[in-house]
Amino acid sequence: MINLRTSVSAFTLAATAAVGLAATTLPAFANDKLVELSKSDANWPMTGKNYSAQNYSPAKQITTENVKQLKPAWAFSTGVLHGHEGTPLVIGDKMFVHTPFPNTTFALDLNEPGKIDWQHKPKQAPTARAVACCDVVNRGLAYWPGTGSGDALILKTQLDGHIVALNAETGAEVWKMENSDIKVGSTLTIAPYVVKDVVLVGSSGAELGVRGYVTAYDVKTGAQKWRAYATGPDEDIKLAKDFNGKNPHYGQFGLGTNKTWEGDAWKIGGGTNWGWYAFDPDTNLFYYGSGNPAPWNETMRPGDNKWTMTIWGRDIDTGEAKFGYQKTPHDEWDYAGVNVMMLSEQKDKQGKLRKLLTHPDRNGIVYTLDREDGTLISADKLDDTVNWVKQVDLKTGIPVRDPEFATRMDHKATEICPSAMGYHNQGHDSYDPEKQLFFMGINHICMDWEPFMLPYRAGQFFVGATLWMYPGPKGDRQGFEGLGQIKAYNAISGKYAWEKMERFAVWGGTLATAGDLVFYGTLDGFIKARNSKTGELLWKYRLPSGVIGHPMTYTHDGNQYVAIYYGVGGWAGVGLVFDLTDPTAGLGAVGAFKNLQKYTQMGGGVQVFSLNGKNPYDDVNVGEWVGKGG
Amino acid sequence: MKIAALGRVAVAAAIASAALAVPALAYDGTNCKEPGVCWEPKPGYPAKNEIKGSKYDPKHDPKEINKQSASIQAMEERNKKRADNFAKTGKFEYDVSKIGN
Repeated sequence: MINLRTSVSAFTLAATAAVGLAATTLPAFANDKLVELSKSDANWPMTGKNYSAQNYSPAKQITTENVKQLKPAWAFSTGVLHGHEGTPLVIGDKMFVHTPFPNTTFALDLNEPGKIDWQHKPKQAPTARAVACCDVVNRGLAYWPGTGSGDALILKTQLDGHIVALNAETGAEVWKMENSDIKVGSTLTIAPYVVKDVVLVGSSGAELGVRGYVTAYDVKTGAQKWRAYATGPDEDIKLAKDFNGKNPHYGQFGLGTNKTWEGDAWKIGGGTNWGWYAFDPDTNLFYYGSGNPAPWNETMRPGDNKWTMTIWGRDIDTGEAKFGYQKTPHDEWDYAGVNVMMLSEQKDKQGKLRKLLTHPDRNGIVYTLDREDGTLISADKLDDTVNWVKQVDLKTGIPVRDPEFATRMDHKATEICPSAMGYHNQGHDSYDPEKQLFFMGINHICMDWEPFMLPYRAGQFFVGATLWMYPGPKGDRQGFEGLGQIKAYNAISGKYAWEKMERFAVWGGTLATAGDLVFYGTLDGFIKARNSKTGELLWKYRLPSGVIGHPMTYTHDGNQYVAIYYGVGGWAGVGLVFDLTDPTAGLGAVGAFKNLQKYTQMGGGVQVFSLNGKNPYDDVNVGEWVGKGG
Repeated sequence: MKIAALGRVAVAAAIASAALAVPALAYDGTNCKEPGVCWEPKPGYPAKNEIKGSKYDPKHDPKEINKQSASIQAMEERNKKRADNFAKTGKFEYDVSKIGN
């Protein structure tokens, strides 16, 4: 353990030295400013807090000892219902809050959080709502710190397909571009991501046959820098000359068209990316996953369907892919591979210090890859009840499928685990670098599945499967509860330090702190804190509505705050949100979550906590209106 | 005794090789034609490039499946006008009809 820590420190030192050198020889890129900002406990400037996307804070004012004194400090209603995913950003004295459709943005003054500095309320075509598969959610904002010639910006995506840059001081629109066209079923729910002077934008719509792509825009002008697709010819997919050079058995060139698809099916082949990103300034690669192939009916698209369901390492400047590892060849279960990427530096089983990425996938496997070349390090089951795959062969990278749990036309498959909602979904989890543990919010849902034939019409749903979902073997299948788990996992040993069951799926992700705490929100309306060493439940608070975002923490005026969105929704909440009762409605989610409405209703807002509820209004005169007479 | 035992081994081997001869019984993802190409049809289902004309033919309309690329091309052209105009004038205009050539 001591040795390991020493090595990790050495690694960090080397990285710091490299950054230092770069800083003296090159003009500072904006991303260096973001790296600096993310080092301070006062800021939370991007999804995942920093480029490693660990959702980890070194702040330790709030600890296992005093977490019981955590009380609400202040709250803010967004004025919007529906699912509130993601987490607010905090930079300096400002908190930036986003909402689901119509994607309003608020800037709050942390010295006086009752004051809305500005708000940006876009006008969007209401028809955008009709082509959103899984509630009208949005996963967050991005921040660009500005340069000498450009003001700081807030970047946002809109459901109607626009990427917009706002002046961070005033909220005024600086530029606005069209990324996705709702007329063909293409929407945006993903949070933008800023690296250097570009902003990355993903895509949504595989349930409407949208072929996925990721796009980089010049953050200052909105000009498109590059665009890379998930399927099709190699030049569209943007493969580097040495793509998968280190792991040629993953497949290399010419696989995006008819070698793994029949005919032109790749043109409507899905592979959208609406999850999360991570970035490593040393490799210059950003990491993300492409989603499921379309349609869900597997019989209509023979082949491995590359490069859907793939973990990508792409160069941020050129967009070229250095590696791509397909997790679920020829998907038969909608295991959209877009989940969170968390970076770490750990010693592998041979004692070699490696730069890693860890990724808990929808398919029930948590993958750890060498993030320099894509080499597979470990692939463990999220729960021992995963059954579609016997194991993942680390040498070949191939998942060994169990044909009993495959899906196909003219057949109703039963008892498949995980379900299409996955054993892990969009939640952004956390990693504690001291303990070398990943804290993962897990789903425990299985399913029956029967595909059906359907035509493709641009702008219409293109799913082609009927699903029945229910609690996994460890839940209560009569009472329809016990649909979630939270676990602490070591990616090298593959061991779980602790595992706890939850009433509903832990949909929103987790936050870890140096106070030995792991925070997360639940669908039934609580924020909870567990001891990150033991998993013991130490504290919880009843929020106005269920949670589908992840908690964040920041320090302001010497006080550590924990903030979280409430507002149930998302796929898990579609039954409640749209008043559906047919168990197969909402792509099968309605049945699984039929009891959710007994515990929560819709809502929308931010709730902020601190020790004993300490907050700027402890001085009761703060924020009071004072007339001319005093 | 010895001979009988050998016979049993032979029978077992024959069964094992029979099972190996019909991998389609179990599409398990491990029989690859080339790196990254490991799909196989399930028993009784059409092979690749045989879906067309089978009862599972998706009968994709080329006009429909080309709509996305056309839409993206049009958006990229409009965006380019916006970005170029922004760079030229320093003022952003979203409405391309208000952008002169």
